[in-house]
Amino acid sequence: MHSSTTNVPMVKIQVNGQEVEVKEGSTIIEAFYQNKIDIAHYCWHPGLSVAGVCRLCMVEIEGNPRLQIACNTTVTPGMRVSNVSEKVKDAVKWGLDFHLINHPLDCPICDQAGECGLQDQYMKYGRNDSKMGEAKVKKHKVVDLGPRVVLDSERCILCSRCVRFCDEVPKTSELGIFNRGDRAEVGTFDGKPLTNKYSTNVVDICPVGALTSRDFRFRQRVWFLKDKETICTGCSTGCNVKAYYNKEGVFRVKPVYNAAVNGHWMCDDGRDIYKFVNRENRLIDAKLVSGGKTEHMQPMELAKRLGATLKGQGASVALVLTGSHSVEEYEAIVSYFKNDVGTTQIYHWINNPDTIDSFDGILIRGDKNPNTKGLIEVLAKNGVSTQWKSLTDSIGTGAVKTVVVAGPENQALFPDMKVKISELSKAAKLVWMTAGKNSELESLTGDVALLPLKTYVEKPGTFVNHAGLRQKTQPVTSIVPGALSLVEAVQLFRGEELVAKPVQEGEKPNEIGKGRVHNEFTLTRGVW
Amino acid sequence: MFKLSEEGLKYVKSELTRYETKQSAIIRSLYRAQDENGGWVNHDVISHLSEVMEIPAAQIEEVATFYTMFNQKPVGKYHIQVCCTLTCGMMGGRELCDAMMKEAGCKEMGDVSADGMFTFSKVECLGSCDTAPMLQINRDPYTENLNMEKGLQLVRDLRARGKGH
Ligand code: SF4
Ligand code: SF4
Ligand code: FES
Repeated sequence: MHSSTTNVPMVKIQVNGQEVEVKEGSTIIEAFYQNKIDIAHYCWHPGLSVAGVCRLCMVEIEGNPRLQIACNTTVTPGMRVSNVSEKVKDAVKWGLDFHLINHPLDCPICDQAGECGLQDQYMKYGRNDSKMGEAKVKKHKVVDLGPRVVLDSERCILCSRCVRFCDEVPKTSELGIFNRGDRAEVGTFDGKPLTNKYSTNVVDICPVGALTSRDFRFRQRVWFLKDKETICTGCSTGCNVKAYYNKEGVFRVKPVYNAAVNGHWMCDDGRDIYKFVNRENRLIDAKLVSGGKTEHMQPMELAKRLGATLKGQGASVALVLTGSHSVEEYEAIVSYFKNDVGTTQIYHWINNPDTIDSFDGILIRGDKNPNTKGLIEVLAKNGVSTQWKSLTDSIGTGAVKTVVVAGPENQALFPDMKVKISELSKAAKLVWMTAGKNSELESLTGDVALLPLKTYVEKPGTFVNHAGLRQKTQPVTSIVPGALSLVEAVQLFRGEELVAKPVQEGEKPNEIGKGRVHNEFTLTRGVW
Repeated sequence: MFKLSEEGLKYVKSELTRYETKQSAIIRSLYRAQDENGGWVNHDVISHLSEVMEIPAAQIEEVATFYTMFNQKPVGKYHIQVCCTLTCGMMGGRELCDAMMKEAGCKEMGDVSADGMFTFSKVECLGSCDTAPMLQINRDPYTENLNMEKGLQLVRDLRARGKGH
């Protein structure tokens, strides 16, 4: 919808007195949405089919005596529409009152409060006392819909977004609206769990607090969280996301619309990967074990000392890289090893060679790295072409004495972590730079250095996704202050000083890829 | 596990080709399955239909729970649906219903009588106000122009007929 306008004739219409242009065949609500003009709505969603059930998107069309719903009315040239007339406001107010008839109004204990469509629209159009004297219908609360989603039927306004999502995106059709009238409730057939790999999206698109995320619910009030855009590093798709964080770390991620990458959605696995960036899962301490002696120190200090021992060591040093890091980091470290250390023994650790090319047809790719393409590109540019086997062979023969590993950033995505640790720790000296804590690494004896790295939310960088799209991210927040990016590590290896640049609050939103548009349900619902 | 009869399966398959969308065949197929399942539908019935119709079970369940013609609990041999909307109500439909229930041995709406013969439901207008009070037994043609006496006799007749089978 937001992509190029090639070949489709455009239609001019007037919205609230303002002339706008939309593609022929668009609906009125699309004209509002594309021109960022506010319009009340619950059931319409730019990524789903039209249902026309919430009756909130009422507009007045000149020459038409009755109000129409904007989501199911097609534009015609010269049409004049308004949603600011008293007639429309009154209709929305009443529509809202009907939605609230059986709504429990339990905002104080509702996880959606602060980003709820009912609250938002009520503040705009309602602010009236309910005229209903009847007792509210009681329905099921805290319904276990599956491993990720919890349903509160009393809060549901039956917009059917969640049902349409399961029908149209993963095409699994688990959800339905059962019974009718004021007894209608969302549910799954026979109580089967909602287990499709995209299920948490229904939480995002639910305009009210009926569907909440089991992972996120009750952990933070949303108004205590800040958010910044970044990407998901869970696989080579590189979905555009927004990370919600505070001083304690990151609490959740939600997808951000990008037609060229992920559309409106992201997968459930991607929802979880924020967890590894938080402090409790991180390697905090820089540690040097040498000759049976263990020293703890600042990461900066360790990096400087490592630099002194690595310089000029030539082909006895090997570097192992994973697809977790940014292009800038690969460039820095490959150049350091090539020019300063003097080795082209640089190896690509592929975490899942068997599934690397798989794709589920929606978003999920078998390459569980955000930047395999970027790494391959940098290696090729530097004329590096190596086979893993020759690394293990040269460790065996003693030709390689020092192995430096950078990564992986998210160890959970590396099923062969243990195997690699035991393989690589056979080298006389092992330097391991990683973001996550790892008990096996930390209990290695022998000559070992552990250097804590930053995660993707703590540093800027460019990631090249499966399709070759370059996405540049900016830091979201700082979680382990002493940790280094590979760019910083290389500066320190070279004996240069770091210029500290703390993450500034209120920095401009990130520029990631082209074609990204803010979608209502990841910002504030219904408002742009 | 419920399974449609061979005939029933044929019927459902032909219904599937009748409409523009497969979903349109759900009501007719549910009716058929309900008849073959002793007058009610349960999750077994829906799972089976979902399989043979290749329609997600949730979508069939939506239809089955939306329409009151699909019974979600077992019903007696005679499911007596008494109209209690305005005209029938004014003509004594509710009292008639209560008395017939008592005669039939049903305590509550929706209960199956101990002999398995009867279930009663109060229903909304069946569109036969000129013959109020009236009722419908299963999916048979209407029984109309009732009064207390005719109603009670109807229960007795049905019981006798039911036992005869
Ligand atoms: S649960 Fe939410 S998304 Fe689903 S129908 Fe209800 S209000 Fe809409
Ligand atoms: S599809 Fe890949 S990039 Fe997108 S959310 Fe899932 S893991 Fe992350
Ligand atoms: S009826 Fe148009 S958005 Fe719901």
